[in-house]
Amino acid sequence: MSTRDLRLARLLQLASPALPVGAFSYSQGLEAAVEAGVVRDAASAARWIGDVLEYSVAQMEAPVLLRLHAAWRKGDAAAAERWNALFLASRETAELRAETAQMGYSLARLLPELGVPSIGFEEVAFPAAFARAAAHWGIEPAEALTAYLWAWLENQAMAALKAVPLGQTEGQKILLALGARIGGAVARAATLEDDELCNFAPGLALLSARHETQYSRLFRS
Amino acid sequence: MELAEPLTTGWRAELALGFERRGARSVLAARRHDGPLEVQKPLYPEGEGVCHAIVLHPPGGIAGGDELEISARVGEGAHALLTTPGAGKWYRSAGAWARQSIGFEVARGACLEWLPQETIVFDGALAEMRTEVRLERGARFIGWEILCLGRTGSGERFARGACRLATGIERDGGMLWHERGRIEGGSAMLDSPAGLGGQPVAGTLLAAAPSIDDSVLAACRELHPAAGEGAVTRLPGLLVARYVGASSEPARNWFIALWRVLRPALLGREAIEPRIWRT
Repeated sequence: MSTRDLRLARLLQLASPALPVGAFSYSQGLEAAVEAGVVRDAASAARWIGDVLEYSVAQMEAPVLLRLHAAWRKGDAAAAERWNALFLASRETAELRAETAQMGYSLARLLPELGVPSIGFEEVAFPAAFARAAAHWGIEPAEALTAYLWAWLENQAMAALKAVPLGQTEGQKILLALGARIGGAVARAATLEDDELCNFAPGLALLSARHETQYSRLFRS
Repeated sequence: MELAEPLTTGWRAELALGFERRGARSVLAARRHDGPLEVQKPLYPEGEGVCHAIVLHPPGGIAGGDELEISARVGEGAHALLTTPGAGKWYRSAGAWARQSIGFEVARGACLEWLPQETIVFDGALAEMRTEVRLERGARFIGWEILCLGRTGSGERFARGACRLATGIERDGGMLWHERGRIEGGSAMLDSPAGLGGQPVAGTLLAAAPSIDDSVLAACRELHPAAGEGAVTRLPGLLVARYVGASSEPARNWFIALWRVLRPALLGREAIEPRIWRT
């Protein structure tokens, strides 16, 4: 296997739903949006997921992942720790914070078993662990972020399938439509300066907070 | 002497306050101001333990090019409550950004409450608002911000201009809260259900304390705004309440109701509303 093929295989492993970090148990506010009637069919699900991608994930999580990747690549653990702390503090609700911390914990525990050096932070946000592995395996930042956003999108579409619910074909159409926006999000994330990062999405924050007391729920966020 | 001052140059104003505990009394021990930002004579409506101070911006509104800087340090064991006499207004800009930077430091065992009236961002304003709070061990902070995009009373929408928000809270150098917002006038985010959902008012209440019990969270969750949407969550050492709705009034009343729960629980004092809120 060439080095390039090996990197691609590693990246696919990292972005796979089979990665045992429990991503499938989180909807990131989508289930609360269904409960509130904001998401009720394929079109409104696509709008919700696309908006969360644009206003929250693409402007905070994505550029933070690039900074974490750069920090790990340089071996600058202090910079990685600062971005890790900033990302945790940027999570607007208990559930959004618990989600990234629990997925980060699971991945950080797994990585040494796969030959990736351990992280050693008190609390590890998921993008910090993902970036650690991607940098260790020599994966380029834009490719790591593309796969990261794809994994996020796929998980959101699967959550919509269960929570709305939607059919498999509708789910694939959402992935096809929103998948086409990942490239733009990656390119934009790479151009954002530190003071341009942004996580202000009050509707998402409000619904996510409401999910914490939602009576009937399938997901942990 | 300034020979070529551009027309867009606004007013620079700075206010720096220092509160200290002397015996049982919290006193305004230091105040320095430069330009149109002032503080009224301290008030003691609830005894000498808490110093209430009203921050004044005599021009009444912030225009493009203006730069306001407000800072306060609350020394060990002191307790200060800061508020404003009326809504903050950010006027339409001809092209220059207006900036307000707030920096608070709260020492060991001290309390600071920052409870300003709502902020109205006029259509076409270019507004940058920054609030950074640094807490030492055991310090407590309650603050809120009610942001109203456009003069909703006259049906104005925030169609042009931009508003940048930066709010951060640190405790002993560790980040508790980090929020950054870039709201563009007329943008799709204003109507998105993940954004402002077509509503002009967004409010955030933040209460930081070394520990916040389940019972406090539960009591806060019993309260709901009379109109609009509200929800409460709890992060490590921080309670956050969010409001999105059609007007400032229900946001303010809900935040005051939450404050009536939070103040005794986290600061050990009954909530005494500053009289200026009712004038």
